[in-house]
Amino acid sequence: MPIPRRRFVLALGTVSTSPVVFAQGPAPLSAPRIVPVAPDQAAEPVLQFFTPTQFATLRHAASLLQPAYSNLPGAVEAAAPEFLDFLLAVSPAPRQALYRGGLDHLTSQAKLLFKKDFAALTAPEADQILKPLIVPWTFDPPADLHERFLTDLRADLRTATTNSAPYAAAAATTSRRGRGRTGAGLYWLPIDPTRR
Amino acid sequence: MYDVLIVGSGHSGGMAAATLTALGVRCLMLNAGPVADLERDRVNKSAHELPYRGFGKPGLHPHIFQANEYNANTWVDENEVPYTHPADASYNWVRVRLLGGRSLFWARQSFRLSDFEFRAADHDGFGENWPIRHNDLAPFYSRVEAQFKVVGRKEGWPQFPDGNFVEGGAGQADSECQQRITAAANKMGIGVSRMRAAMGDGGLASSVNLSLPQAVASGKLDVLPNAVVRQITTDPNTGRANGVIFLDRHTRQERRAKARVVVLAAGTLESTRLLLLSKLANSSGVLGRYLTDQQYGCTVVASMPEARDGKANPKLIGGGLFIPRFRNLRKDEKRNFIRGYALPLNTGSSPDPKYFPEYGEALQKKLASYAGSCVTGGIYGDVLPRYENHVRLNPNQTDAWGIPTLHIEARYGDNERNLCKDAADTMEELYKAAGLEVIVKSDKVNPPGYSIHELGTCRMGADPKKSVLNQWNQSHDVKNLFVVDGSSFATAGWQNPTMTILALSMRASEYLAAELAKGNL
Repeated sequence: MPIPRRRFVLALGTVSTSPVVFAQGPAPLSAPRIVPVAPDQAAEPVLQFFTPTQFATLRHAASLLQPAYSNLPGAVEAAAPEFLDFLLAVSPAPRQALYRGGLDHLTSQAKLLFKKDFAALTAPEADQILKPLIVPWTFDPPADLHERFLTDLRADLRTATTNSAPYAAAAATTSRRGRGRTGAGLYWLPIDPTRR
Repeated sequence: MYDVLIVGSGHSGGMAAATLTALGVRCLMLNAGPVADLERDRVNKSAHELPYRGFGKPGLHPHIFQANEYNANTWVDENEVPYTHPADASYNWVRVRLLGGRSLFWARQSFRLSDFEFRAADHDGFGENWPIRHNDLAPFYSRVEAQFKVVGRKEGWPQFPDGNFVEGGAGQADSECQQRITAAANKMGIGVSRMRAAMGDGGLASSVNLSLPQAVASGKLDVLPNAVVRQITTDPNTGRANGVIFLDRHTRQERRAKARVVVLAAGTLESTRLLLLSKLANSSGVLGRYLTDQQYGCTVVASMPEARDGKANPKLIGGGLFIPRFRNLRKDEKRNFIRGYALPLNTGSSPDPKYFPEYGEALQKKLASYAGSCVTGGIYGDVLPRYENHVRLNPNQTDAWGIPTLHIEARYGDNERNLCKDAADTMEELYKAAGLEVIVKSDKVNPPGYSIHELGTCRMGADPKKSVLNQWNQSHDVKNLFVVDGSSFATAGWQNPTMTILALSMRASEYLAAELAKGNL
């Protein structure tokens, strides 16, 4: 039976005037420690940025640019394309345009040269489109937008792959030299953000 | 009322607080940001545990090339404290407002300026000399080096003054790669040394662990975080500074703090911004002018063929080299640039995948082959202090506290471009002479500000008509106003400025305390 509010407040007042009880503080809680599951383990992402054709192109390009190697997962196994779909959805407009334009260019080139979607190309066919767009490194990004897209895509796929949970799990069982760089470090939490 | 009010808590503010309180001066330190708990506020995480897999929130820090998802919460948010620059002259203003400021994050490279920098105008005729020489600052450098536990190798070279180094600088024997590069450099008449670095305590050489603890322990220092200073106040009768007005970072409530002396240590551009906001210390008209820094970005990467395909080992390759300035040490040296640069080199690294124009399995095989075989080189380049490179208040924009922001206008010129090209060509020649294969070479630099070594805008000098501060970091115009951070620099040099900032702050603070005791302030 619930305690009437007035009696509850009075009871609180009684307790608060007792120095012995006050010094004891609250009783320790014994709630079990709950370890939450990672979203990637529990559910699959809903695509929100690329069109189905663009995503299929991205996924096929990912399989060629960053394949599985030496017992380590590639971009597809690391769900890098799905992650990039999320990342691009929250990116500034110029970057979104670069990616959309770049993927559309791969598709149009595939249709022009092979009369099919990029996602349907064999590896040697796709190489004929990708290789001319991979240019030697320069300090400034390539001026040509398609070259710039592929330069960024190659780097983004690599980072999204090596910083993924599947890669970290596989790298843990691989020699240091073999696994290369994996993403880990000292993370600074938000520190008393300004209240507005 | 306090004796001294210190605005800022980084290296310069921390050193001022430690020096002044040790001499019995009662101080209040105001810091614009919060206090970080280094135990509680940092945790080890894998990138896949972060919301953006290590990429960081897109667009959050567009001018901070050093930002990543791990450190994103430490930098000043441009939405909170914005600034502007011309569309054709980007500027990277990298700021930290945590207690300790950027001293929490610096790379700990510890050099002295030499008289090639202090007396640069005498040497090449450009600009103004500092009002001090290396000998004036040497005793303070020595004390700072001991406190910060600087390790280094003594060389006896005038352009690279030796310091008061602690034991521990000697590493293992030089690898074959180091020996080959050193021999090739010596044949070219270039001296090769080792990096000089502050060991600090536990890998941290910050005001929060090296300067502020002793100041707080003295009982003479009060620290007030979350205090956003908007104005230095003055006595209308004397024109002397008598305190500051600040806003609480969260509530925006304004308060006034009073003191007999005001010391600005807010970081180069924030200190100058505060002087501009307060309309003080600018009878010379050069406040905000002569903004300079150091240019970073020129990159040459090579590979040692003998160390490829799994053959890299510590005897063959590994270890760093440091080549201090070697250009324009003679007055009769004829080049298409003045001043100079240093070359930090590292051997035994793996290449960045972006350097190879390949993909897929071919790229993976290449990376595996080149792993551990690379030599990377960059540049610490001097930037000339020019009148036209400046900051001014922007009347059309305010920050989150309603305070006018800065407009920053800085461009590199032919001297910086030619100097950088010479550095890239020299590294390429050096690598080839050492039997290395050059993988990439670039003589391009990052935008001004990238090195996070912005300097000048409140420079010291002997002539009050050409400078803001005298040789004691004291305002020519307002005698009880001192500026002890990097804004006081008359030239940048190629050296990381931290040791010089610390030594200047210590020297200025001892002078301040003595003048205070004499009743002159």
